[in-house]
Amino acid sequence: MGTGNQSKSGFARSGVIILAGVLLGVGLWPISGGIKSFAQGQKSTPYALELPSGVLEPIIPEDNPLSVEKVALGKTLYFDKRLSVDNTISCAACHDPRLGFADGKKVAEGIQQKKGARSSPTTLNTAFLDAQFWDGRASSLEEQAKGPLVNPVEMGMPSHAALVTKLRKIPEYRLAFQEVFGTEDFTIDHVAKAIASFERTLNTFNSPFDRFIGGDKGAMSSSAQRGWELFQGKARCITCHEFNTAYPFFTDNKFHNIGVAMKAVNFEALARRAAVETDVAKLASEPGAAELGRYLVTKQPKDIGAFKTPGLRETAHTAPYMHDGSEPTLESMIDFYDKGGAPNPNLDGGMRPLRLTVEEKKDLVEFLKALTSDDLLRLVKDLQGMVGR
Amino acid sequence: MKRQTLRPEERKQFFTSLRKMSRRQFFSTAGKVAAMAAASDLVVRFGNHIISHAPHSFQPVELAYGAEKFTFAYVSDTHLLAKGMTHRFAKAALKAVRDANAMSPQPDFVLFGGDLAQLGQSEELKLGKEILDELKPKRYMMVGEHDWYFDMGEKWRELFGDPWYAFDHKGIHFVILNSVIVEDYWTAPKMKPMERMLFMAQLDNPRGKPFTVGEEQRDWLQKNLAKVDKGTPIVIFSHSPLYKYYKPWNFWTDDAEQVQKLLAPFTSVTVIHAHTHQVLTNRIGNIHFHGVLSTAWPWPYAPEGLPKLTVQMDRADPFNQFDGCGWGTVDVLSTGRANKSYKLWDRNPMNVTAAQLESGKVAAPGPSY
Amino acid sequence: METRVVVRVLIVGMLMAVAVGPLTADQVKAAGAASSSSSQVAAAASGEAWVTKTITACDKKKTVIVEGYREGEVLPPEKARQVAKLLMALMKYCDYRVLARLPQQETTVYLSIEGQPFVEMQEVEQKLPLLLVQGVLPTEREKRVWAAEQKRMIEEGYKLFHSSVLGTNGISCDMCHPDASNTHPETYPKFQTQLKTVALLRDQINWCIENPLEGKKLSGDDPKMKAMEAYIYSARSGKILEPGKH
Repeated sequence: MGTGNQSKSGFARSGVIILAGVLLGVGLWPISGGIKSFAQGQKSTPYALELPSGVLEPIIPEDNPLSVEKVALGKTLYFDKRLSVDNTISCAACHDPRLGFADGKKVAEGIQQKKGARSSPTTLNTAFLDAQFWDGRASSLEEQAKGPLVNPVEMGMPSHAALVTKLRKIPEYRLAFQEVFGTEDFTIDHVAKAIASFERTLNTFNSPFDRFIGGDKGAMSSSAQRGWELFQGKARCITCHEFNTAYPFFTDNKFHNIGVAMKAVNFEALARRAAVETDVAKLASEPGAAELGRYLVTKQPKDIGAFKTPGLRETAHTAPYMHDGSEPTLESMIDFYDKGGAPNPNLDGGMRPLRLTVEEKKDLVEFLKALTSDDLLRLVKDLQGMVGR
Repeated sequence: MKRQTLRPEERKQFFTSLRKMSRRQFFSTAGKVAAMAAASDLVVRFGNHIISHAPHSFQPVELAYGAEKFTFAYVSDTHLLAKGMTHRFAKAALKAVRDANAMSPQPDFVLFGGDLAQLGQSEELKLGKEILDELKPKRYMMVGEHDWYFDMGEKWRELFGDPWYAFDHKGIHFVILNSVIVEDYWTAPKMKPMERMLFMAQLDNPRGKPFTVGEEQRDWLQKNLAKVDKGTPIVIFSHSPLYKYYKPWNFWTDDAEQVQKLLAPFTSVTVIHAHTHQVLTNRIGNIHFHGVLSTAWPWPYAPEGLPKLTVQMDRADPFNQFDGCGWGTVDVLSTGRANKSYKLWDRNPMNVTAAQLESGKVAAPGPSY
Repeated sequence: METRVVVRVLIVGMLMAVAVGPLTADQVKAAGAASSSSSQVAAAASGEAWVTKTITACDKKKTVIVEGYREGEVLPPEKARQVAKLLMALMKYCDYRVLARLPQQETTVYLSIEGQPFVEMQEVEQKLPLLLVQGVLPTEREKRVWAAEQKRMIEEGYKLFHSSVLGTNGISCDMCHPDASNTHPETYPKFQTQLKTVALLRDQINWCIENPLEGKKLSGDDPKMKAMEAYIYSARSGKILEPGKH
């Protein structure tokens, strides 16, 4: 999964366009003379997401339908380091296909090794989330894409306008945006739409667990099967990490305080400041204030320290875990829940000691490992060549 | 409860405009802000025109119609079992105590609303005392049926003193009643103490007897109130509601009319009652009635008899051991009337003001259970 | 075929016949509703003398007395269809001698089975389903047995519901559900938000036992589970079924 259905009539044409996109990405900029320019008019070959039967379609904004050309453009942008102020950081720097589309680090590191306050989430399956970022401050992928571009500790561009000016100077982009959006004078919204469209194709299905649910009782080890029972029962995971046929992504898209990193912070003072600060993104990158979580967006006391439930597909590849990367392994993460999270005045009342046995914890880990899909491996194979350009 | 999510620009505009307002303008918009506060849980500090917002467990300062005289807090219906401090009821009781202690400024006193123990056992009451001893402010105790019917209040009196009494505070006359007196149902069938207790402990007991204040306390109340000026605001603490809501669950006081008659001559009477474990609001004549939350579990709304003024709290999610539970505060106003804030855990607080009760605005109908 | 079932189906068939019954004239002939006796039969149930037409089916056992038409009169097609359908249903579903009276208003059908007194369709509806044991109405003893067993199951469920034995932390079901309120058994199967899938009442009972009560799940055929369900359903008796409702 992840690649789309090509309409038969446009197959050859879209193949050529993808090739063009790949060539662009391969960095033939210095040899710009050799690149053919393709059709000057706007092209829009429909791109239909291939989803397993029963899975609800993700919500795609009406003003940003998927097209093969747009996805290709988005892919180019995603891997392009020039989107950062010093040309060192692309989206893929923190959302690397080789690292589960995350970065394997505790907290994100941007330009000049500047550290943020939160762990990079994976870009896999994000099309199906209600909101983006750990605090849900972006309600769409388009909105999310705009954030890191101007975050001083991530890609560091001084403004969106500055980025657009920079990109407009690149002829290949002028051509590509002309083709996709019908204008050479593209805006930051066009950039965001392209990136978001590419991300909407990064969906993974077809894991051993999916095959087990589909009826193949031998697809998952018996340990993983016991883990799945625990997940729905004694370990109480499923209530927040929702899974069913219509929505197989293991998240309820809600925000819960499970007590991660609630120890060392003076929340009263932080909350007071956050109540009047309107630049949520700024606070979200500040160690300390970032721990307020969803409160930064809603300003409601019940949301202090509450963070979005992440999905669990491919979770074996997206260590470390939690919003601050504080749990290095699946085992340590399960221990955290087994204890009942970390006590704090705002701890979600659903957290409580689970009293899991050693065997049960192992079964849960085996189950989580069974959420790694074939689709991920294929995506990695397709895209790993793009990183590092 | 509907949440208002302002976009960043709107939020910025709102805060800026509030800061720039003149004193007169501020007062005139105070009403709108209060309504918005109630709807969206923005909390505004009254008095020095600074917009501050504090986590509810740290600092619940409410905007009130009319100046606030003082605030007290309550913790109620802990229903402790003798299973030590790690039992979820004990943890919940501790959570309420610590939340109350975290109030800044501190409340004038804390009321305990009754049902400290679940089965009236010595160990349960002692555990409860240990937990409540952690409270920093002054503490007033009130008894519930779960505390009383194992030994007819013997241990309670030993640990906490008189089951009914009165006191005055900052010009308000407070009365605490033992309003869970019932007709003798245990002597004839020769019930043992635990049998007597279990009979009372089951809320939906079809053979249960209705609560009353009883003749002894009504006489005492009459004499006590005779010394009080009719213009002095009265606040009554009672475990049973002092009105008639739903008899099958003993959400009921059988001699309610007689008690209300004693209170009728006074200009301002507010009843704070427990037992119902839910957000509950009523007004009968001159009397305002406010129920309080339990720390242990929520009762559902009764199939009938719900007072029309009550805005129902949302159904509790049993996955969350604290949902539908909590503690609360009461702001006593200069008029002697009270604004009530229900501090629901894991939810936005629900606020009920005296002005709302005065207006008699009927709440939108809620779900039927 | 078991008599109870036979009669139940019979009733359904007859209701259908009375309510709908679109048959062609050909089918009427084919049904073999040939012979019509020329006797005028007084309505035993009403005690009045009505003008009637009698039609007997070819098995000689099923007879329909149609009120409002004389012997020899040709029935209008609609009526004929109804009669034919009725006879076919009667013949198909049992071997007893059945006398059916079809009053002019057609809102009721009176039946006399094997010479028993005529009973109205509605009465029959209430009394007969499940109630004809080998052609005989249930005895008082039988009815008392059924009621006693039902009551015992419900009381067992009531006891379990109001005690904390199913859990380990002293919590009992009636703490959140006094009088089984808020259980809404009439809305299952439905998407249960705690389980994140469509569940039955017993799944939710088990979830509550595991989660708020911190106890061990019951198996589906555990008599304790059946007793709990019996109590919960009985407490909500009369509510309309609304599976899926939240």
